[in-house]
Amino acid sequence: MGPFMSPFNNLLCMLLGISFTVWFTLLLVFIIVPAIFGVSFGIRRLYMKTLLKVFEWATVRMERGAKEKNHLLYRPCSLNSIIAKEPTSLEDELKEIRRNCSSPELEGSASTSTGPSPSSSEFEMSDTFYFCRRGIESIVDDEVTKCFTAEELESWNLLTRSNYNFNHISSRLTVLWGLGVVIRYGFLLPLRLTLAITGVGLLVVLTAMIGFLPNGRMKNFLSEKVHLMCYRICVRALTAIITYHHSENKPKNGGICVANHTSPIDVIILASDGCYAMVGQIHGGLMGLIQRSMVKACPHIWFERSEVKDRLLVAKRLSDHVKDKSKLPILIFPEGTCINNTSVMMFKKGSFEIASTVYPVAIKYDPRFGEAFWNSSKFGMVNYLLRMMSSWAIVCSVWYLPPMNRQEDEDAMQFANRVKAAIARQGGLVDLLWDGGLKRGKVKDNFKEEQQKLYSKILVGTQEVRSRS
Amino acid sequence: MGTSQSGPVHRFQDLAHKTGFSIEEIKTLNTRFLYLTQDEDTLRREHLANVSDLALNPIRRQIIEAFFDKRNMGEKERGCLQEIGFEEFVTVLSFFRPPKPHTADEEMKNIKKEKLRFLFNMHDTDNDGIITLDEYRCVVEELLSSYEIIGAETAKAITDAAMLEVANVTVGQMAPDEFYEGITFEQFMQILKDVEIETKMNIHFWNLDTMTVQCGK
Repeated sequence: MGPFMSPFNNLLCMLLGISFTVWFTLLLVFIIVPAIFGVSFGIRRLYMKTLLKVFEWATVRMERGAKEKNHLLYRPCSLNSIIAKEPTSLEDELKEIRRNCSSPELEGSASTSTGPSPSSSEFEMSDTFYFCRRGIESIVDDEVTKCFTAEELESWNLLTRSNYNFNHISSRLTVLWGLGVVIRYGFLLPLRLTLAITGVGLLVVLTAMIGFLPNGRMKNFLSEKVHLMCYRICVRALTAIITYHHSENKPKNGGICVANHTSPIDVIILASDGCYAMVGQIHGGLMGLIQRSMVKACPHIWFERSEVKDRLLVAKRLSDHVKDKSKLPILIFPEGTCINNTSVMMFKKGSFEIASTVYPVAIKYDPRFGEAFWNSSKFGMVNYLLRMMSSWAIVCSVWYLPPMNRQEDEDAMQFANRVKAAIARQGGLVDLLWDGGLKRGKVKDNFKEEQQKLYSKILVGTQEVRSRS
Repeated sequence: MGTSQSGPVHRFQDLAHKTGFSIEEIKTLNTRFLYLTQDEDTLRREHLANVSDLALNPIRRQIIEAFFDKRNMGEKERGCLQEIGFEEFVTVLSFFRPPKPHTADEEMKNIKKEKLRFLFNMHDTDNDGIITLDEYRCVVEELLSSYEIIGAETAKAITDAAMLEVANVTVGQMAPDEFYEGITFEQFMQILKDVEIETKMNIHFWNLDTMTVQCGK
């Protein structure tokens, strides 16, 4: 047996060696070198088109198969509301109800009231209608909870995680799905892991090296190039296919860039197209290592855990950074948490209090290829990254919106809402009043009181009118 | 339309007959019910209290109680339940179902009466068939703010004035020593006879299709 093994061994080693070399050369030529120079061969877009054709075929098969076997196909719950909620405000609705309700006898006693409201100014029994109906509407259909589950798809993208009702419809489909699993876990995942490790490793090493250079134009130039290169490699590590719109509105130095937040990947997507100063808390471990080496090359804003609570300190550091026109624009996600990319939640006003130009950016992911939303209560970070890397691709669009400034008569909250509305409009997302913190907590009592105050104002207002006359 | 196992479907069909919802609407409500109860069989008050939009509503307590009120279940009993199943949930919601087009006038009157009955029950918390001054004041206070804008005195004044107006409408001029007990259901109906309850107290469901499987663009 002995002498027979050695030629085999040699052959085996040679084959392995050759395949590794080929593998790495291909990797280098097709992925890393373009990343360094920022060009693209268009391989990813071709891949995307092929995938779409396959998905269409798969969905048609499923439809046909379900009809044949009379299975209840996974019926997508459409994201639109189940019920039609009328957009009338409290005031309008009450006026309308009271107008209908005032009978002649009541009119007689109420005719002394002159003023804007044409109806009787007493507290009417009918007022409870409005609240009753609204209450029942919210029991049947709730806006908030819709934001925190991953968006449900209308066609199947060969990932069982997005089809909760996967039955064996046809053997061809199952084979295709199996093939998909093999490709994704056997080929794409290792490839992406290699790229990710290369990207992160290069980032750490190169930025540490640049840290030794004296501050000056050379350092800034090199740091920019290095950051861009490493982020591009990371983008390829996720097979992210990004389309940037309106690049003329890209954030400039001394400004603040705000964007809607769906996942931690947002950072990589934005940073691969421009250089930003990141803001965040210092973590330990690998994240901390990356953060510490990044800050050597160019000034990012990292806070210690204890400093995060101190709002004044945070605001001061951000303002100082912004005033210095030579520093990069700050990247902030004002929602404060990951939302599932169908709507934009309330922006926290802290970032809008700093006096500077705000550059809004809207990011919209295409869920057909991979669900990018990070449900942090369901999955941990590592689990999430693995799911990302074993999806087909991450496809998204980024829109750079024209810069906005806070106007004289606006306060920070109104400005924040204005920016939020612009982002929601551009990205085709729903603009919500709700606070992202509701993912974890309950509604603050303030909101209930707001409704009550509004209602009382209507009543008291009309009372005054009555007593005046 | 595909059909799933036979058990739930029969149940749904019975419910559809009883309440007037379509089978699709019942299925959607079932999904919502399971969501609210987090996949349990029965709904309790705390499940409803978890709905964030409802927290905005000043009379949410009354609305939640309405779900557990036996009078709304179509039975002659009185009292409250601690937990309800899907049938009771849909029964209560059927008070808010829009009437089908081309409904006869008689039918419309009945529907209106039932909706008004629901509202009446919501006000009449001690189940005695009369909305007394105290019960009414309860509702007013919930609707108004407990903060600086309206004090307790003003709330009381508003309630009293409203009750007086109701008495005027229904009973006519009262003698000084007559005591007005409260609003009976007939008086309630009389006050609100002009309001188009059939249209104001409805929840409109979107038209849902099954099998809206579209291919990606």
